[in-house]
Amino acid sequence: MKNRLKVLRAERNWSQQDLAQRLEVSRQSVNAIETGRYDPSLPLAFRIAALFDMPIEAIFAPD
Amino acid sequence: MTAQGIRRGGRSRWFWAGLMFASFGVIAALRITDAIGETTGFILMACAMLLIVPLTRAGLAHQRTTGHLSPAVARYTRRFMIASLGYMLGLGIAITLSERMELSGVGAFAIALLPVLPIFAMIWTMARYLIEEDDEFLRHRATMASLAGLGLVLAAGSFWGFLETFGVVPHVDAWWTFPAWAIGMGIAQCWMSWRDRAGTES
Repeated sequence: MKNRLKVLRAERNWSQQDLAQRLEVSRQSVNAIETGRYDPSLPLAFRIAALFDMPIEAIFAPD
Repeated sequence: MTAQGIRRGGRSRWFWAGLMFASFGVIAALRITDAIGETTGFILMACAMLLIVPLTRAGLAHQRTTGHLSPAVARYTRRFMIASLGYMLGLGIAITLSERMELSGVGAFAIALLPVLPIFAMIWTMARYLIEEDDEFLRHRATMASLAGLGLVLAAGSFWGFLETFGVVPHVDAWWTFPAWAIGMGIAQCWMSWRDRAGTES
């Protein structure tokens, strides 16, 4: 699955650690999701969407 | 030595791991060559095993710097350290008793439990980690590493078993399953850590 996490994070000038703290996950989780090595669960995807105040489909898209 | 490998104000986990395994090697060599007796060897091994304490602390510090340290990881590491110390103690007592006594029946069963109960504790520790880990990616990693270890045990065990049946290789005791699983899990964790580092961005 493709995602815009890195772009959205950069727009807010957040580091991976900043985003990880806001989502209450490890920095490695953010890194793995951003680089497409791990697709988050639906609950985590909803948390990401809520944090950026966007619908899930505006952040994640099928390959 | 990288900054990630150095515990603040202390040595890296590789230093403590190297020191511990070097100590095991020297003690084993001294014992094999009969330079030291059984009791001395056991006491020295128990002392060398205490190096797992600074190794664990350095490991936790490393995990903190790489973003892998969750409360569940910290609990897992502490529980595993205690179980490892119990294993060394139980194994040492079991070997010492088996070499000095003629074991059979209930006695042999009880002696076999000495090193096995800490192994049960290690397995319980791993199961608890998967239950307690809130970070889904870390839980996913641990699950994949466990499956890699299981794959190694099943593949190596099946292959070795047939080779043994056909008389190609010597018999291997069944207690090797747990170390083999742990080795497979460790290799998988190392590979995933390497892959994570290769893709790390800040």
